[in-house]
Amino acid sequence: MSGSGMKNSGVRSSQRFRVFAITFAAVYATIYYVVLVNNWPLFSYGPAVGEWTLFNHAVSDGPTMYWYGWIATSAIVAAATGLIASALPENLGGKLWSGFAWLIPVGAIAAIFHLLGGYFTH
Amino acid sequence: MWIALVITHGLLAFLLLGAMTHQVVSVWMPARAGAGNFVARFRAVGSANYANAITLLYLVTAALGSYLYTNYRITARLTLEQGHYWKSFGAFEIKEHLIAIGLAVLPAYWYFWRQPLDEADALTRKLLTALLAFVVWWAFLAGHIANNIRGLGT
Repeated sequence: MSGSGMKNSGVRSSQRFRVFAITFAAVYATIYYVVLVNNWPLFSYGPAVGEWTLFNHAVSDGPTMYWYGWIATSAIVAAATGLIASALPENLGGKLWSGFAWLIPVGAIAAIFHLLGGYFTH
Repeated sequence: MWIALVITHGLLAFLLLGAMTHQVVSVWMPARAGAGNFVARFRAVGSANYANAITLLYLVTAALGSYLYTNYRITARLTLEQGHYWKSFGAFEIKEHLIAIGLAVLPAYWYFWRQPLDEADALTRKLLTALLAFVVWWAFLAGHIANNIRGLGT
């Protein structure tokens, strides 16, 4: 491949990663809030008994942790959406506003504060 | 073993906090040329140089914290609940969600800090940095407070 060909390929892959990263941030933050509110983990874990269960199932003894499962659900959905978005033609992906990468996560954080605000007025 | 891991986690978090604070201050309050006091030098660091280290430190610190979280869930959390430390408890609950949201923005943060920096993305870069700094500061303080309440090795 010629020097200019390699440069063009690098620019294209950089542009694709840009679309992936913005989409990933926006979709992950949105999905994370949805799975948190609805408790839709991909799996659950019982730290007292070292037990893993699929989806939202209480373990046989002790507390059940869903946090890892919420992250897994969000990351998989966001990665899949990001890959699809990054495969779109460049004239579509290039129009994606970079501000979505911070604006939607900030919105998700505000929603989480609102959801858990009761702890601070207890 | 848990105590050694908590201390290691704390040290990694401290490194991350330092790097993140340097970067966010240098981005939002860049030093004017010629200023030579401690604060000015703190603001004058090359902010782009921190991005890779911050990304790596965030991932390693979060991974270790995720492992420690299993122990927290069956020990320290009960102390917070039984002692009715609801504000500290809530701060730690929010910490876990902020860390998760931080993972969401990490690829974008890393991308927008890649050299050469694109001036068209300067605002996005600044806001992603501020967002990540908020996450890191909250996580550090909430973890520190929870640890102070529970104590080490009790």
